[in-house]
Amino acid sequence: MSKSYAILPCNGLDKCAGCISKEVALRLTENTDSEIICPVLYRVADARYNKIASEKPLLVIDGCATRCASKLASEKSLKIAEKINVTDEAKSNDITIASGLRLGENELRLVDSIIGKLTKVEEKTEIESTFAFPENIQYETYSKDKFTFRVPKEGFYFNENDCWVYVVGNKARIGVTDYVQQSLQDIMFFTPPTVGSEIEQFGEAGNIESGKAVFELVCPVSGTITAVNDKLLEAPELINQNPYEKGWIAEIELSDFESDKDFLIDFAKYFEVLKRKVDEFHV
Amino acid sequence: MSKVKVIPCSGIGKVYGLMAREAALKVTNELKPGETETVCLAHIVTGDAEAKEKIEGVSCITIDGCPMLCAAKSVAHEGGVVKAQYRTVDEMKKHRGIDPGTATALSEDGWKIIDELCEKICVNVDEIIKEEAK
Repeated sequence: MSKSYAILPCNGLDKCAGCISKEVALRLTENTDSEIICPVLYRVADARYNKIASEKPLLVIDGCATRCASKLASEKSLKIAEKINVTDEAKSNDITIASGLRLGENELRLVDSIIGKLTKVEEKTEIESTFAFPENIQYETYSKDKFTFRVPKEGFYFNENDCWVYVVGNKARIGVTDYVQQSLQDIMFFTPPTVGSEIEQFGEAGNIESGKAVFELVCPVSGTITAVNDKLLEAPELINQNPYEKGWIAEIELSDFESDKDFLIDFAKYFEVLKRKVDEFHV
Repeated sequence: MSKVKVIPCSGIGKVYGLMAREAALKVTNELKPGETETVCLAHIVTGDAEAKEKIEGVSCITIDGCPMLCAAKSVAHEGGVVKAQYRTVDEMKKHRGIDPGTATALSEDGWKIIDELCEKICVNVDEIIKEEAK
């Protein structure tokens, strides 16, 4: 693990879940450059920890449902990068936490599982970050009634089926536009395309579903799927929040982008298509 | 001992917000009137001292319509102890393809989903009361 955290664990000394949160924090500091913020001292004298909290992503570990560590982070207006609740983790791993305060076999297994989960999340982040996606995307917007539709102004290509592609070298990232997410409203299910599968331009690249309809993604380019946005499986609402950034769908190794480009349109043309659709269909 | 607070989001314009409100009303008015009560989220959000006092340090169960989690976040921000939080969109995921109704009225199927959600909330209420009685 190369990434390090500022860890804010709860101080649950009277419950086993609290002792587990301490053990997780300890193990992370041993295996990474992470640093622990003492919740007790932080509450009374935060100056000591402000530097750590501002430099590293914050990992909050709560033992129980009282969530003291989360509340402390909220009190101090800290931005939480990752959050773990030991009791919830125990439930999802089907582990019963002992009533005593010493960690036994089950508790240590839970510690391993939580550490593994944090490591896995990190690996995923690293895979995603290999794609050089722009950070400050500029949008043009078109509003109709209460709906606002964003379209990125530069670097994106679109098809008339309201899907976008952003190309870097021989790789591309694809997704849907605001028109799709506004039309579907609350997206509840995401069926990703299969990693490793070959896909033709205008072939189906997974689908998304809300209470209103199912939308099949019409792939704007041809190639091989190299990655999918796994976060959407747990939180498909990311597509509603921003379908161009956190709500991206998949990454593709391109097979013939120069030919595919003949059937794609740029911002200026797609913006006209979008306005026409919105005006005609009164989303 | 304070009653457990069951607080829905104020989501209007979508059926999921209505589901949250109907579930909160059913629990507090019909299923657990002696053990629970609701508090107006809009009142809490204004920072009003009286509303804040009602939830500060008190066990709360929040029911949100959408992933924005306005109820859970606002209650926690004002000092409420969120012991359980629900999103009605998650309940809908377990009933794929079912039409729960509209933003103004739930369908019969929509009410069935609310009944299931209310059962879970009642279990939470019982657990909270048991825990606090220790």
